[in-house]
Amino acid sequence: MRLRILLALFLACIFSTGLSAENKGDDPVALVENIAGKIFADVTENQAAYSADPKLLETLVRRDLIPLLDIDYASRLILGRAGRGLGQDKIDEFALCMSNLLIGRYSRGLLEFSSKIKLQVLPQRGDLDEKLTRVRTRVTLPSGKEAPVDYAFHKTAEGWKAFDVVIEGISYVTTYRNQIMPEVQATGIDAVIERLNTGQLQLAE
Amino acid sequence: MTGCAGTQNRHTDPVNDPWEGYNRKVFAFNQGMDKVVRPVAVAYERVTPGPVRRGFGNFFRNLDAPVTYVNQVLQGKFKQSLSTIGRFLANSTFGLFGFFDIATDMGIPYHDEDLGQTLAKWGYDDSRYLMLPIFGPSTFRDGTGRIVDSFYHPIGRVLHGNDRWGLWAFRGVDTRARYLDQDEELNQAYDPYVLLRDVWVQNRQYQIYDGDPPLTDYDLYLEDTPEEDQPVNEGGR
Repeated sequence: MRLRILLALFLACIFSTGLSAENKGDDPVALVENIAGKIFADVTENQAAYSADPKLLETLVRRDLIPLLDIDYASRLILGRAGRGLGQDKIDEFALCMSNLLIGRYSRGLLEFSSKIKLQVLPQRGDLDEKLTRVRTRVTLPSGKEAPVDYAFHKTAEGWKAFDVVIEGISYVTTYRNQIMPEVQATGIDAVIERLNTGQLQLAE
Repeated sequence: MTGCAGTQNRHTDPVNDPWEGYNRKVFAFNQGMDKVVRPVAVAYERVTPGPVRRGFGNFFRNLDAPVTYVNQVLQGKFKQSLSTIGRFLANSTFGLFGFFDIATDMGIPYHDEDLGQTLAKWGYDDSRYLMLPIFGPSTFRDGTGRIVDSFYHPIGRVLHGNDRWGLWAFRGVDTRARYLDQDEELNQAYDPYVLLRDVWVQNRQYQIYDGDPPLTDYDLYLEDTPEEDQPVNEGGR
């Protein structure tokens, strides 16, 4: 709770956009390192164009980010028991909603903060675990304060993919899950998807 | 806020919150209090320039150093406790009573310890969630720790009467101002009580483990645990 979650999440967003489809290295740390700079440079260079047409940036984010995120897995974690008995189509629909929400938010955060913050990827500790590897980063805010932002990666058939962001110990998946799971159980998946699509549900922004 | 306090939680993950009914009432009380506190914090943020606010933040943080020091010693972190003394001396003198955090500029790292964290390190690691009036989220362990720590906190030691309460109140406003940009998020949550609890409990765990908490067991999230099987803490912790 010490840090403004809002800001941190934006920063996290910025950071995750650093993941790109072109780099399917065997090491998530290298993956994060290589691409982050590239995306930052792109946004800094084309700041004016992206500000004028945010859709352009969203397209870029969608193309580069989505292949590197395991949204299906994250959605299943978030839905938990509430996902029991749901068809794959419903889960896909929910996952699509989540990814649209994230892309919008990431793009806005990227535009606002990419030129003002610094990020540092910490070296891998211990061995890579294909089930769960934590990539640790430090984001330096304009005030000089450092925010720890970690990413949970696992290895899928299509290479390493991230499925959770953890800021100062606060997990995106866990926090979403404890809001969405009871809501789905109370109002049903369709009502929640509807709310997500109309932008009424904006928790953990 | 929905009226079914105590029922929603059945659907989420097991959290040590057997006093949820009481906690939700205190949470509602705190939200009522916030109708008064928030405008003060907003005004404070508007009229005070950023660097000045940062100065007050540094000032209050510096005053916590003795508490951090004692708890570092209690946890056997002797090397870190020396750097806390160094920080305190440097910031209290050259840093003009702590308004400037020159210790950080000098490369002396900041640590944050309190009795709640010490007790957790000593094995009291799963305490009941407890919503404190005015102070907000805590646990039984951390609330107790807070009282003990306050006995030797510089604000309580050096100041008396109205000065002491005035400074505590100022600190409260300063702290509240730091969370202003999270209000919207909290208000729009499906269950604000659970959101605050989640965020607080996770971040507290992060503090206790000095930034390196055990990894989340995501597999557990996919298991189809019947709700009846969830562990229930019957102890008085």
